[in-house]
Amino acid sequence: MTVQVVLAAILFLLMVLVGGKKGVRSFFTLFLNFLVFLITMILMTIPIVNPIIVALIACTAICSMNLFYINGVNMKTKTAFISSMITIVILISFIVFITSKAKVQGFGEEVIEEISVFSLHVGVDFVKVGAAMVILTAIGSITDIAISIVSPMQELFHHQPSTSRKELVRFGLSIGRDVLGADTNTLFFAFLGSYLALILWFKDLTYSFGEIVNSKVFSAEMISILSAGAGVGLIIPITAWTAAYYLVKK
Amino acid sequence: MLSRSIYFYVIMAFLFVVSVVFVNHNDAFYDRPIAEVTKVKQEDKTEVTDQHHNTDELFTQQITAKLKNGEAKGETIHLQNEYSASGAYDQAYQPGNDLFVSLDTDKGKNATLTGKIIDVKRDKYVLVAAWVFVAILLIVGKRQGLFSIIALAINAMILSYALDIYVKNSDISLLFLCSISVVLFTAISLLFLHGLNEKTYAAIVATLLGTFLSLLIASVVIWATSESGLRYEEMQFLTRPYQVIFIASLFLGSLGGVMDIAITMTSSIFGLYEKNNAISKKALQTSGMEIGKDIMGTITNILLLVYISGSIPMLILYLNNGSALTFSLTMNLSLEVARALAGGIGIVLSIPVSLYTSIFFINRKRAKS
Repeated sequence: MTVQVVLAAILFLLMVLVGGKKGVRSFFTLFLNFLVFLITMILMTIPIVNPIIVALIACTAICSMNLFYINGVNMKTKTAFISSMITIVILISFIVFITSKAKVQGFGEEVIEEISVFSLHVGVDFVKVGAAMVILTAIGSITDIAISIVSPMQELFHHQPSTSRKELVRFGLSIGRDVLGADTNTLFFAFLGSYLALILWFKDLTYSFGEIVNSKVFSAEMISILSAGAGVGLIIPITAWTAAYYLVKK
Repeated sequence: MLSRSIYFYVIMAFLFVVSVVFVNHNDAFYDRPIAEVTKVKQEDKTEVTDQHHNTDELFTQQITAKLKNGEAKGETIHLQNEYSASGAYDQAYQPGNDLFVSLDTDKGKNATLTGKIIDVKRDKYVLVAAWVFVAILLIVGKRQGLFSIIALAINAMILSYALDIYVKNSDISLLFLCSISVVLFTAISLLFLHGLNEKTYAAIVATLLGTFLSLLIASVVIWATSESGLRYEEMQFLTRPYQVIFIASLFLGSLGGVMDIAITMTSSIFGLYEKNNAISKKALQTSGMEIGKDIMGTITNILLLVYISGSIPMLILYLNNGSALTFSLTMNLSLEVARALAGGIGIVLSIPVSLYTSIFFINRKRAKS
């Protein structure tokens, strides 16, 4: 038995013990997300397919599963869905702009030896692949924040239907502020786990500060983590406005 | 209060302007020659097809650039650039780009400087991305945004310092240093974001218990299966024994998610207790579990997506070079999937752990009063 199978079995068991039926559903969603990831990646290998369009479709699928499958189709999940998609579109334009300017697409010189057996001219636009990659890393946190803002806003409006749109927005923003730190933290440490080896590499090979900051791998990493973090911040006002607009209009 | 926040924004705007101006004029601080592209001439274009029938286009550019530092500052240099349309390891340059170059020692027959392009100067773009992040966090998050940024910065410094110690003293174990760092990270992040109070203490204890428990489980599983299924050979940037780095990365990777669960759980449970001091232990247990159930799926998902998405470019390269799907997946995702699963275990475990830690703290409070 492989490490992954045993860990997956333990995770499944724990999820069922803690969450019962909901736990089964959560585990199944993880699996589905992995499937969406696989299909997305395979589609991106086809040169004529635009990776950004594929990523947008993948985000729609992941958002729908995380929101509609776990929490059901209702006003809350619909608002969270719309806000997430708006944020994703804004974020994607920023990331494409900055990755093509900074030229951080593809592979850095540190890994070039390892991939020397491969042909690098595979016809896929790596700038767009890079942008698609960042979007996929951020989508999980973005939907998480969206739903955690919409739910209490709807509760508040339900208990006090006379609440004005402005007050609702303010309430939504204050909820968002409370979860902002936790979510940027989650992303930060997840990235840290992924790139611990890289940081040690820089230290062991005594790269100077200037070399680190300008190297492709490091700047690509920083741009990903900062853009994902910016997305986590951006979703807060967008959700607060969308939800307030939707609730008070009725 | 209002005037104080205006001062704050003025200072931030000032810092922004100074740093942007600096990063655009810092060429003198670099030892490596830097040249700014002034003119680009597209020369030829060829279509190539590799042995796996991928078609791509190759271009050659003749670049004229002006040196911005060193002895030859101000002189013109001629460079040549070859790039492909896909750009996996190369790119087109446009006028205005700053490049690190190497100078050829003998001048050409026209007595003009020639050289080779080494890399792109990227510092200004990293700075722009950093400012966008900081600005959004400050505008949206106000005080909490500022505190999150400070906590992240301090944590990054602690990590860098800890790794410096590790690199200089090979007899200190990485896991030991990481354990100390994890304690510091947890205390700093949670205290900064949530202040000095009982619920924060409970969250710190719960986070540490949850993280160490999940590390223990992961280590036992790795040991019991004798690492089968872990393909270390594709781990990048290795300068050190890979198992230790992998275990340390498991440790750090899930910490943020576990903290998120711990603080959400303790806040809600303490909230319930503060609303009704006489609430029964049973009622706290039921509500606590209900809250935990709702959040565990999403946070595990966040981790999974962060870990596996990073491998997309490499996977595309593998698949388009004729590697089989299962082979490409096991080579590139085995460590990421294991890391995500171990993180998920930590996250789910920290739900009951946070619940009982909070109840323990509440009982102590009750006994005191």
